[in-house]
Amino acid sequence: MVEYPEIDRYSSLDSPMHRFDPRAKLIAFTILIFSIVLLPNLKLALIGLLASILFLIASKLPLRFALQHIKWVFLFVVPFIIIMPFTVNGTEIFSFYGLTMTYEGLEYGILVAVRAISAVILVLPMIATTRFDITIKALAKLKMPNMLVQMFMFTYRYIFVFVVEFQRTWRAMAARGFKLKTNVYALKTIGKALGTLFVRSYERGERVYQALRSRGYTGSPKTLVVFKMHVLDYILAGTIIGFAVSLHIIPLYLHS
Amino acid sequence: MKREAITVRNLSYSYPDGTKALEDVNLEVYEGERIALVGPNGAGKTTFMLHLNGTLRGTEGQVEIFGKSVDTMRREEIVKEVGLVFQDPDDQLFMPTLFDDIAFGPINQGLKEYEVRERVEKAISSLGLSGYEDRSPHHLSFGEKKKASLAAVIAMEPRILVLDEPTANLDPRSRTELIGIINELNEREGITMVIATHDVNAIPELADRIYALNRTIIETGTPHEIFFDGKLLKQNNLDVPDVFKLFEVLRCFGFNCEKLPLSLDEAISGLTTVIETEGGHIHLHIHEHTHEGVKEWRNKYGHHVPK
Ligand SMILES: Nc1ncnc2c1ncn2[C@@H]1O[C@H](COP(=O)(O)OP(=O)(O)O)[C@@H](O)[C@H]1O
Ligand SMILES: [Mg+2]
Repeated sequence: MVEYPEIDRYSSLDSPMHRFDPRAKLIAFTILIFSIVLLPNLKLALIGLLASILFLIASKLPLRFALQHIKWVFLFVVPFIIIMPFTVNGTEIFSFYGLTMTYEGLEYGILVAVRAISAVILVLPMIATTRFDITIKALAKLKMPNMLVQMFMFTYRYIFVFVVEFQRTWRAMAARGFKLKTNVYALKTIGKALGTLFVRSYERGERVYQALRSRGYTGSPKTLVVFKMHVLDYILAGTIIGFAVSLHIIPLYLHS
Repeated sequence: MKREAITVRNLSYSYPDGTKALEDVNLEVYEGERIALVGPNGAGKTTFMLHLNGTLRGTEGQVEIFGKSVDTMRREEIVKEVGLVFQDPDDQLFMPTLFDDIAFGPINQGLKEYEVRERVEKAISSLGLSGYEDRSPHHLSFGEKKKASLAAVIAMEPRILVLDEPTANLDPRSRTELIGIINELNEREGITMVIATHDVNAIPELADRIYALNRTIIETGTPHEIFFDGKLLKQNNLDVPDVFKLFEVLRCFGFNCEKLPLSLDEAISGLTTVIETEGGHIHLHIHEHTHEGVKEWRNKYGHHVPK
């Protein structure tokens, strides 16, 4: 069996996040993500992070699965935490070899990191708690442009076919003794294999299009889907959006 | 006389890169008939099939569906008459779930929602895929995907079904199931079938008539007519069913029957007749021509002759 990169592997669990209407979920969490990413100070961002973690816990997604996805942001965030403290001017904490670490810089680096991590954590209760095809349908229902919806749909379907084809090619190469090294020969071979893969994908694209046309495709694949908002969906969505907005409004009152 | 479901006249086609894939193809298929299209790899079977629903248009010639030229038919009209099942199910199944995929055709036909649901339900149950509605294609086995792509096409209720190598790469059980399903669709719904296949063992159960294609139509006839034509088989690298080969060998050992069987069913009835007429048993023995006969038989199929 092939290992697929499935974001919706745990979409069949049961939790308040899983039961949340997919459309309301998409809208509410998108607003919350934007709200947190735009927060101006660290205290508020930490409240945002705490909230994100609570939503993740409420989604009952396995920790291992969640960490697998969250770990990637660290790669992007770590440079900020290291560089920022030395590049922002402000109160000196210490300095060596002419590099000065500032309190403001440190705070700013951590702020960037906290915002990014919160955002990625929130993506999980938003996307990983719904079957991906239903997320796509929810996007369509939310009047996302048809072109984009189709792109999501085809990508979602064919990324798996592509993964299988790539693994097949890779195994065929390995079976004949190919080892990945950084020499010209290895790079050339990989180039050729990728070339073959692209040609194959192109040919597949042509056949898929023929098959679509053979079933009366005229430009917009339509699906049947029934979404129904319940009172709880309105309440949950209202709460999340309310929280997102108040993160920005409350500080205004506290300052004045 | 039955109506002609498909009429092809002087069809030629070259791919844009100049490959001449079809040349002066002539063929007719009658309503309710089951046709096997045989020919070696690269013979143009797939190319030909893409002409039957107007996906490809011949550089020359005519394709008519129930007397109407596909050139004058609207896309929706053709798609309603001719259902095309592609060889690779991954080309055909593109929706995130099985339900969506099967509903895709009926929705495009402009059916009402409840009709679409009925069609999907019916197609899914007639292929034994109930319970798989929400699965995505990458969670189906190859055999299931193959069935799913057939379901996706029969949900559109076409009068003609065109299948490109439906039994290729299937495990024996899925293969038998699929052959049964195809025949049932033909019997119960009267669907006309055109089936491209290399699976010679399936042909006697799957086809009333064979067209041998190699860029152009070489011969047509019932399975018996084609499989008994040794010269034709040899010239076109066509194989014959294993049962037929076995009984040819038995004949070298003195087995005496009028018409060599092509399928197990025919073998059973043939054996029964022979045993009954010869007093309750069959008689096999090695006689003066046996070795020579077997050698000839090996030569005929190009088998390696061991010392
Ligand atoms: N898209 C294409 N472009 C150019 N040549 C093609 C294309 N598809 C098939 N051919 C060529 O056309 C001929 C017939 O192919 P095909 O119809 O696939 O045969 P079959 O299905 O009987 O194996 C072959 O020589 C093949 O190489
Ligand atoms: Mg083919």
